[in-house]
Amino acid sequence: MTQLRPDMFEEAAVRLDGVSLRYDSSEEILSGIDLVLKPGSFSFLTGASGAGKSSLLKLLYLAQPPSRGEVSLFGRPTSRLPRDQLSALRRRVGVVFQEFRLLGHLTAYENVALPLRVMGRKETQYRRDVEELLSWVGLGERLHKRPETLSGGEQQRVAIARAVVTQPNLLIADEPTGNVDPDMAARLMRLFFELNKRLGTTVIIATHDLGLIRQIDAPVFRLADGLLVQESGATTPTARRRTDPLKAMP
Amino acid sequence: MKTRESSLLPLEDAREAALFFVVGALCFLAALAALSAKSTYGAARAWTAEVEGEFTVSLSGADAAAADAAARLLAQVDGVKEARAFSDGEINALLEPNFGRSGLPADLPVPRLIAVTGEADADDLGARLSTALHEAGYDAAVDAHAEWAGDVRNMLSVSRIAALSIVALLSATAIAVIAFATHAALLARRDIVDVLHIAGAKDRFIASLFERRFWLLGLRAGTVGALVALASVAILIALSRSGAERTGLLPQLSLDFPDLAVLVVTPVIAGLAARIAAGITVMRSLRTVM
Repeated sequence: MTQLRPDMFEEAAVRLDGVSLRYDSSEEILSGIDLVLKPGSFSFLTGASGAGKSSLLKLLYLAQPPSRGEVSLFGRPTSRLPRDQLSALRRRVGVVFQEFRLLGHLTAYENVALPLRVMGRKETQYRRDVEELLSWVGLGERLHKRPETLSGGEQQRVAIARAVVTQPNLLIADEPTGNVDPDMAARLMRLFFELNKRLGTTVIIATHDLGLIRQIDAPVFRLADGLLVQESGATTPTARRRTDPLKAMP
Repeated sequence: MKTRESSLLPLEDAREAALFFVVGALCFLAALAALSAKSTYGAARAWTAEVEGEFTVSLSGADAAAADAAARLLAQVDGVKEARAFSDGEINALLEPNFGRSGLPADLPVPRLIAVTGEADADDLGARLSTALHEAGYDAAVDAHAEWAGDVRNMLSVSRIAALSIVALLSATAIAVIAFATHAALLARRDIVDVLHIAGAKDRFIASLFERRFWLLGLRAGTVGALVALASVAILIALSRSGAERTGLLPQLSLDFPDLAVLVVTPVIAGLAARIAAGITVMRSLRTVM
């Protein structure tokens, strides 16, 4: 008799079935992509500039519908979901944008608290959590600074704190180390892995930093000519691994 | 430490200051047009009521005594409130612009005039006055001022339609300007809208941010416009009172309760128009994205 394991019942965190994307009448940027990310997995997405990494991520955080195919998050096909339910799904996804997209008129603290305000939480409920999170990313003394007064690395950490403050089920990061020095890049990657390991967050990181990818034992998906291929690693959840994929990192 | 949560939209910028001015100016004009329309209505009522109850009877070949007798006869006609023969002095005063202060030659046959004021609900009074005079043997003509009253009524109808059209046009312009400005504000803050959208904000949540912003903008701009209109009307009233004897047929400006109600309602309408326009614009714009 087949032995039943808990992960047999788990829905994929992300599932793309035959997904294609084109803008207006241009050529297809993505063609017939199939992808499954299991809950708690840690993956990289790579490819040359203009290969369509950001476009693929847009599909994952539901900013763009595919031209063809189906995008499912947490077992729910998104193409026919009412708008309110799409909003509910987005709340389970944290996004770190390549260009941070912090709101300039809000402080670091207010930027991090933004997703919680969107969810209708009161400040008395989240104040301590936000302050602790910002302290955890090394910005405990910079809570009330506006983004323009923060360095690139500090802004990056605020953006990451904003993405994880709701403890999302899926974390999507687009070139999160593109604007920081190698030491900061290593620290941020360790942060992502800690989130993945401690909270079971499914993480997918788009990067063209091959040096970074080589240091971490995680599956790598490569985009080329609109097609997606898996280059290395398994998609098993890293949370269940015994070894630390970051052990080789500085 | 308890702090006040910042607005998720940035503070007003130069575009909104310009919009504030435009909405304020439109509300000022709309309030003035509404007050003018109301004054025109009031004047129309007063003028037509005044003209329609008045008759002028001219008696040919009659002296002052005959005119007095005719006035007494007319006073007894059903529906007549008052009938009074003009004195020589009054007739001379009426003719003074044409004949000078020396008066008329005694032998010049001038008709005697009788002013008749009828009851408001008296039907067909002009014809009955004419019949009474002819039956008593007077050579008389009764002028009900029908032609002049008709002209006044026509002129006032045109004035009312013009005033109401101006109010409607200004209101529609204000709404269109606000809708356009909201759309521009939304485009200018697309980054904020995108971040909120991706963070899981519902369309209604995002729209409510803009609705609140534009409701307050419309309310404040409308209040400024209404206050400037109030000041303008007060100045016009003061000026018209200082030259009261020359106001003639001009509509009487006033600031009674209905006028003040117009001034209070103007900013509320501006605020509501801004809020509704903002809500519709934002919801439509959001529906174009996933």
